[in-house]
Amino acid sequence: MLEARKKHARFLFLFIFPAFIIYTVFMLLPILNSMKYSLYTGDGLIPTEFVGLDNYVRLFTEERYSVKFWNAFRNNIKFFVIVTLIQNVMGFFMAVMVSRSFKGNKFMRKLSFLPTTLSVLVVGYIFKLILNPYYGVFDKFLEMIGLESLILPWLGDPRTAIYVVAIAVSWQFFGESVLFYTSGIDGIPESIMEAARIDGASIWQEIYHIILPSVLPIVGIVTILIFIGDFTQFDIIFAMTGTRGDPGYSTDLFGSLFYRTAFASSERGGWGTGMGATVATMMFLIVTVGVGIFLYFFSKKREELEK
Amino acid sequence: MKKLLLAVLTMVMAANFAFAAGTQEINAAAESGDSDKVKLVFTSWRTEDIERMNRINDAFTKEYPNIEIDFQPVKDTEYDAQLKQSLAAGVGADIIFLRSYDSGYQIYKTGSLEVLNDKIMDLKGFPSAAIAAWSTPEMETYAIPSVGVVHGVYYRKSVFEKYGLSVPATWDEFMAVCETLKDGGETVFAQGTKDNWMLYEVMFAGLGANFYGGEEARQNLMNKDIRFTDAGFVEAMERMKDLQPYFPDRFEGIDYVTMQQIFGTGNAAMFMGGSWEIGIFEDLGGLEDVGYFAPPLKAKGDTLQYCFHVDAGIGMNKNTKYPDEALTYMKWLASPAYAQLMMDELPGFFGYTPGSYTLSNDLAKQMQSYVASSVPTVRTVWEKLSAESPSGNELVAEAIQKMYAGELTPEEACKYVDDGLAWYYR
Amino acid sequence: MINIKRTAQRGGLYLTMILYALTIVIPLFVMIMTSFKTNAEIFRNPFGLPSSFNIDAYVNLFVISNYEKYFLNSIGVTILSLGIAVTLSALAAYAISKYKFKYNRAIYIYFVLGLVVPIKLGTIDIMITMLRLTVYDTLWALIIVYIAMAIPLSVFVLYDYIKMVPEELSSAARIDGCSEPGIFARVITPLIKPGLAAAGIISFIPNWNEFWFPLVLIKSKDNYTIPLATGQLFGQFDTKLNLVFAVLSLATIPVIVIYLLLSNYFVKGLSAGAVKG
Repeated sequence: MLEARKKHARFLFLFIFPAFIIYTVFMLLPILNSMKYSLYTGDGLIPTEFVGLDNYVRLFTEERYSVKFWNAFRNNIKFFVIVTLIQNVMGFFMAVMVSRSFKGNKFMRKLSFLPTTLSVLVVGYIFKLILNPYYGVFDKFLEMIGLESLILPWLGDPRTAIYVVAIAVSWQFFGESVLFYTSGIDGIPESIMEAARIDGASIWQEIYHIILPSVLPIVGIVTILIFIGDFTQFDIIFAMTGTRGDPGYSTDLFGSLFYRTAFASSERGGWGTGMGATVATMMFLIVTVGVGIFLYFFSKKREELEK
Repeated sequence: MKKLLLAVLTMVMAANFAFAAGTQEINAAAESGDSDKVKLVFTSWRTEDIERMNRINDAFTKEYPNIEIDFQPVKDTEYDAQLKQSLAAGVGADIIFLRSYDSGYQIYKTGSLEVLNDKIMDLKGFPSAAIAAWSTPEMETYAIPSVGVVHGVYYRKSVFEKYGLSVPATWDEFMAVCETLKDGGETVFAQGTKDNWMLYEVMFAGLGANFYGGEEARQNLMNKDIRFTDAGFVEAMERMKDLQPYFPDRFEGIDYVTMQQIFGTGNAAMFMGGSWEIGIFEDLGGLEDVGYFAPPLKAKGDTLQYCFHVDAGIGMNKNTKYPDEALTYMKWLASPAYAQLMMDELPGFFGYTPGSYTLSNDLAKQMQSYVASSVPTVRTVWEKLSAESPSGNELVAEAIQKMYAGELTPEEACKYVDDGLAWYYR
Repeated sequence: MINIKRTAQRGGLYLTMILYALTIVIPLFVMIMTSFKTNAEIFRNPFGLPSSFNIDAYVNLFVISNYEKYFLNSIGVTILSLGIAVTLSALAAYAISKYKFKYNRAIYIYFVLGLVVPIKLGTIDIMITMLRLTVYDTLWALIIVYIAMAIPLSVFVLYDYIKMVPEELSSAARIDGCSEPGIFARVITPLIKPGLAAAGIISFIPNWNEFWFPLVLIKSKDNYTIPLATGQLFGQFDTKLNLVFAVLSLATIPVIVIYLLLSNYFVKGLSAGAVKG
């Protein structure tokens, strides 16, 4: 590596500066500045009246705010758990299968990633149309194979809607987990796998003793990415159940709550820019704490396995 | 690799050209603005009406060749958020559709709307109830009352004929009609509950008004003389519950658009809807088979409480680049010529502009025919009770949705609304 | 015995793969097929192929809306933002990986931190900043945000590519009297072309599909990008189902085509990221 001498300092600065400044000003500072706005209130677009922590007090003590906030929190956890189960657990087993050698293996790898390239909005709309109780293809399909007793008002029932939405998101990003895990499995030296097979290890033993430990770091990354994505998810709710998280706020996630509170008119659930910033700040705290917990958990697990 | 790079480069160039052309166009338009053509942007939540509105605006441009109107509606559920942001940011449209009472008033309070009292003299002739819906407490008017809508029940004439049914006048007759249709295996209503605003705006405010006491009760509620938990509102809520057995299977999953499609394609006998839907049913075909009746009465001889809702006013952006042209257009919008054009193009939209008009659409005539013998009212909690969050509008819609989902009884639904309105009684 | 078990396992594997492939393909197939049906046919015959390939929906879409404009907007925004982001990131990654100074590691981590920063949560301030810069409601607002969004991943990917360039090459050029920017342009850039392409392609998908920022920052129809137009047109056409499906298909097909053409880049770039991270 070249020692940065004086004559290079200028270039060092010149090279790093543009990326540094754009990244800082338009990605990191906005989050801090938004926190600042959470200390203000006012009718206009830019809140001007300083109120200290009043917005936070109101968010947690006034029922009209706190009920919506905790509701979104609960929904988001439900949503995250379902998506994690599908993407992480099912995705892992699918990756084990995809990484076997079989005819069409290459094709499957390519195909599995395809849904991830679509826009979340489009995926949401497609599922909404397919699940329409009147002309949707899905109900017609169930009727055709004689399972009409299973038909539900999928997106209309507060008990099922959040699951349906979570499954739509999982459908889209399932391939991403599969891709990550297969590349992890591909990285395991063939000799180790071979040795295990000669020793007569069953597929389950192989998964538990060889594959799982070596992809565990990837499980960590995937979980954290899903966590961040899910706790700021908005597009899928916008497309499938609207910014109010219908029916009856049963699919209201933090993403839609933030959009509604910060940007909608008060008659449609807006709480003003200051309160919107307060919600964003709380979301940031939750995401940060969550990521911290996951990092701690996965590094612990890693140590255990490396012992 | 080289090929890819080349391709990317070509695309960059192409994009650059497209961009440059775009900005030049805008600049050119801005520079030549005062000399010849001016383009005014007109925004609304009526995305269904683009073609019809364009025809109306063409008539204006014929009269004033130097002013062109660009109608740019935004989906209704997104409209208020988008409008609020764009006006606050100073990039709002020149001419703006405003909802009545607090929704519109909040936009006015951002200081982005022109006060029209001294600008459009014709406003003096408008009905005062309509003017009040878009005025400050000091009676500064910020929008031209433009569209009134009514709520009632659409039905398929052929289905009614098949069962020898006649249009019901009272609730009991209405229920009997529903029962006959259900026994005959028909889908009685095209109603669903996925989009809950329908449940409040059309069903509760439209069909419930005869039971909760209409305009008088609405006034009393606003004056805090009665509460939403009072007997009248509970009774209206119970009547809403009466309708549930006649909804289609899995109504919880049916959204607004699907309802329109079910009824518009002739797959349900009735649809509780608003007058603005005539155009949609016309587009879906077979309008001659569609009939309409007003909300059924509680008992024979009662006076109809008719929800003739003040739906849309038209305001003018204070910060428009073309104040003179915008005002010219606004004056035209306040003229009988526009009102007649609107009622021709958009049957089911009723104008407030004083004058005598002919209604060309039979359904619109039918809707209008009930007005003379009724007491007009507007949606139950639209005025004042929806000024803050959670708004009355949201609460009633949620309560009914929960009631249909079996989570609340009619009494509990009313209590849900009353609890949510705690901010109004503070 | 073992053979039967093996055959059963094989059979199970293929069956799972076929079912998995079907769950991916069927929704997309339904979407594209439906866009070629007439409205009445969608109700009558929701499954199967359209009775005749009816392209009215597409024709109508271009007549009623300004779709080609939205398309150009999206292309312009994507290419400009990715081009700038990748260039700036390459410069930064070069400086971080090839000069030794006190804060190499810290700056690298600072950039890479952006991979887990939820930029959405800064939207209120971004909106206000764009207003102050008077680029609110213009495509420039989107370009700026998308550049910022693409920088962390690009720095992350390019850092490794640049690291792999042998030190001797730049030293030799330096001895020949080549300036520092010259070294970057003439020595480094040609060698990291695959890295530049990978960085651009990985950021292409999220960038092209991004819906949140246009929703908040763009108000005029003339400045819609494809995702925002999709959202708005979906609402506008909602009773005309074939148009709705045509809108969705048009938003989807270009991405699918690009993915199929360049899928090796995607898969390699992304899996490399996962394994390293």
